[in-house]
Amino acid sequence: MRILLDKFSKSFGTTKVIEGMDLEVGSGEMLALLGPSGCGKSTTLFAICGIHRPTSGRILFGDKDVTGLPSQERNVGVVFQSYALYPHMTVAENIGFPLTVRRLAAADIRKEVAEIAALVHIDNLLDRRPSQLSGGQQQRVALARALIRRPDVLLLDEPLANLDAKLRLEMRSEIRRLQKETGITAILVTHDQVEAMSMCDRIAIMKAGEIVQIATPSGMYNDPRSAFVAGFLGNPPISFLKGRAEQGAFVFANGIRLSLAILGGIPDGTVLTLGVRPEHFGTSGDIAVDGKIAFAETQGRENLYDVILPDGSVLRSIQSVRNDVAVGDAVRWSLDSKAALVFAEDGRRL
Amino acid sequence: MRTSRTLGLIMIAPAAIMILLFFLMPVVLTAVFSLTNMSTATGISGGAYQVTQAAVNRLTTDMPELAAAISEPRFVIDGEGVAALEALQLKPHFATELRSEHLGEVFASRREAERVIKALKDRPSTREVKRISDLFNRSVLNTRFETREALLESLRKLGFDLTPEEQEAVAKATYTGWVWTADNFRIIGNSPDMAQVFLNTAFYVAVTLLLFNVGYALFLAVTTHYMTASTASIFRAVWLLPRITPVVIYILMWKWLTWDNGFLSLFMGQFGYPAKNYLLDNARDAWFFVILLNGFIGASMGMLVFSSAIKAIPETQFHASEMDGASRWQQIRYIILPQLRWPILFVTCYQTLSLLASFNEILLSTRGGPGRATEVWSLAAYHTALQNYTGNLEYGLGAAMALVLVVIGVILSLIYLRVFRYDTLISKPLIED
Ligand SMILES: Nc1ncnc2c1ncn2[C@@H]1O[C@H](COP(=O)(O)OP(=O)(O)OP(=O)(O)O)[C@@H](O)[C@H]1O
Ligand SMILES: [Mg+2]
Repeated sequence: MRILLDKFSKSFGTTKVIEGMDLEVGSGEMLALLGPSGCGKSTTLFAICGIHRPTSGRILFGDKDVTGLPSQERNVGVVFQSYALYPHMTVAENIGFPLTVRRLAAADIRKEVAEIAALVHIDNLLDRRPSQLSGGQQQRVALARALIRRPDVLLLDEPLANLDAKLRLEMRSEIRRLQKETGITAILVTHDQVEAMSMCDRIAIMKAGEIVQIATPSGMYNDPRSAFVAGFLGNPPISFLKGRAEQGAFVFANGIRLSLAILGGIPDGTVLTLGVRPEHFGTSGDIAVDGKIAFAETQGRENLYDVILPDGSVLRSIQSVRNDVAVGDAVRWSLDSKAALVFAEDGRRL
Repeated sequence: MRTSRTLGLIMIAPAAIMILLFFLMPVVLTAVFSLTNMSTATGISGGAYQVTQAAVNRLTTDMPELAAAISEPRFVIDGEGVAALEALQLKPHFATELRSEHLGEVFASRREAERVIKALKDRPSTREVKRISDLFNRSVLNTRFETREALLESLRKLGFDLTPEEQEAVAKATYTGWVWTADNFRIIGNSPDMAQVFLNTAFYVAVTLLLFNVGYALFLAVTTHYMTASTASIFRAVWLLPRITPVVIYILMWKWLTWDNGFLSLFMGQFGYPAKNYLLDNARDAWFFVILLNGFIGASMGMLVFSSAIKAIPETQFHASEMDGASRWQQIRYIILPQLRWPILFVTCYQTLSLLASFNEILLSTRGGPGRATEVWSLAAYHTALQNYTGNLEYGLGAAMALVLVVIGVILSLIYLRVFRYDTLISKPLIED
């Protein structure tokens, strides 16, 4: 079912959290809401599920305006940031609660609970209480509870935050599989960009209550609209160099020049930020850059280096493991100038 | 290790002493008093031995002959009497003859003594015989003896040769101080009056607790939970008023409401009903107001406890249950009430005890009336031991009644703990995020 936010605004008293947000999530699509802490992700989610009334604007499910509809009538499943399990109920009672309040027969509830519990691999925990579960187990109980009544819309508020790396990887594909199988429309709130990129059809990046860009993960990665977006996606993150344009070259404050074809057409003297992703600086590229290794870290298959340039700014490089350079060594590595991203002073992409 | 343990003992010693003095001692003393027949009549220090008419009556039930004999006058020709006779300055031979011929003789009745006096050589006149015999009257009736030995010695001198059982019975019957006895509990167990007071108490505690202290308090807490914060706090403040008003003034306001010339009478007068005292006109109305005025005070505490317990439930649980499709009523039933089990247990327990023990509102409003219709156990204990119309305050019986109250309180608490499965409440964490 399609979700549409139409000029949605939300303020708490005098604090405006969201102003005039437009967002469309296609039927069966999974969208990530990505953004720094406090940018209004949960608030948006709460408005969609009906916990918060929008200050203005409309919310549509399909073609139906649900703005004034109470949560109970929206058929939305939510996994809360804190899980919000009922501590006095067993796992089975927690998962079956949406069916209990619909007065289904106990036997039917038991059957459905068993089914959904098997789906999220907690069928051996049904008699425990939430306090006797690990964070990851609690999270799966919350997911099962959200799914059991087959909602039209599934909202996930940082559901994987409490999991260990391995479980997180597993749950990522698990949730994605469930979502695809059921054809449910889902919104995943997260501030983990890897999660957003690996699980979702599209990503919406939010900043201070606004959506700054919506795109597919690869579109967003390769073609960010601003320095903020470029900085938010990618791990290890993109590095930024400050300088200005001069006759088709990028000039650092200390006068060192990098001639970049992509700077053609930009007036001389324009203050610029150059964004270089770690994979675009290293063994291959068309421009040589001198620097000194300030930091090296091995990530198993790859090594990550921080290289200090003569003007003091830092370029990150990720390369296959090698043992011929160490911290303190002077190096001359290449930069792939075609892949560099150029931003104006205000962060706009040029 | 050892020093730290000693240090710990020293540290808690003041608290332990306080607990002993102010919490344990009263209960122990109550238990001690309850096993005595202390009253205004016996006093609370020791007593003496006095052959009063009442004592004779007590003795009559077990040993009628002995009782009759003791209550009869006794006549003994002793030195004391002869000296008194000499002082009367009748014919001198009366005294000399009595001393030489009859000294030490004991007569069981006045007639026998007078026969001997009449037979004296100087022939006293009938009037003189009477006067002389009076001097030798040695009845123990209305005489007070400080010790049991003095009493028995005196009786022995009077010619009573008592068996040990008889000595025991006489001493017991004539003792004016308090004695150890389990009679109080027999009285409590057998008296229909006590049974009525017991039923009154059960009715009062159960109805007030159920309707107000727990029931209405829950209702208030839940409804205020769904109100906006400011409305809710106004509501709670209003319900706190009865609790913070001084009880005398609070009751006075109820009296203004219910008296013959009070608000209710005036109001009902508009519809042609005659003025009357609604508080005391019959048992039903008296109970109605007693429960109402106690309930209004009691509801506020439960309301506060339950409200804060509901506040402690994380808000996301309410959000989640809304998403799960729960209506308000289902939220209350499945989310709120199950998580209020412990506060409900606490309030029920606490309020049962305080309702059982407190009687000041009833004392100030109905005084247990009309008749003894609203007399509850604690008020009856107060009336028995500290304040009654006959003037004989029965401390022992009052203490026994108080002790019964303590025992009932403890038993009820244990039952509550079982019913609410206290062990499961404390052995597992209640809240988690
Ligand atoms: N009930 C409220 N009253 C006032 N301000 C609020 C309220 N709820 C949220 N806010 C504010 O709205 C802003 C957005 O909050 P929100 O919870 O949506 O952030 P978020 O993007 O989910 O952050 P996080 O990633 O840390 O969960 C924050 O600045 C927060 O302080
Ligand atoms: Mg949030």
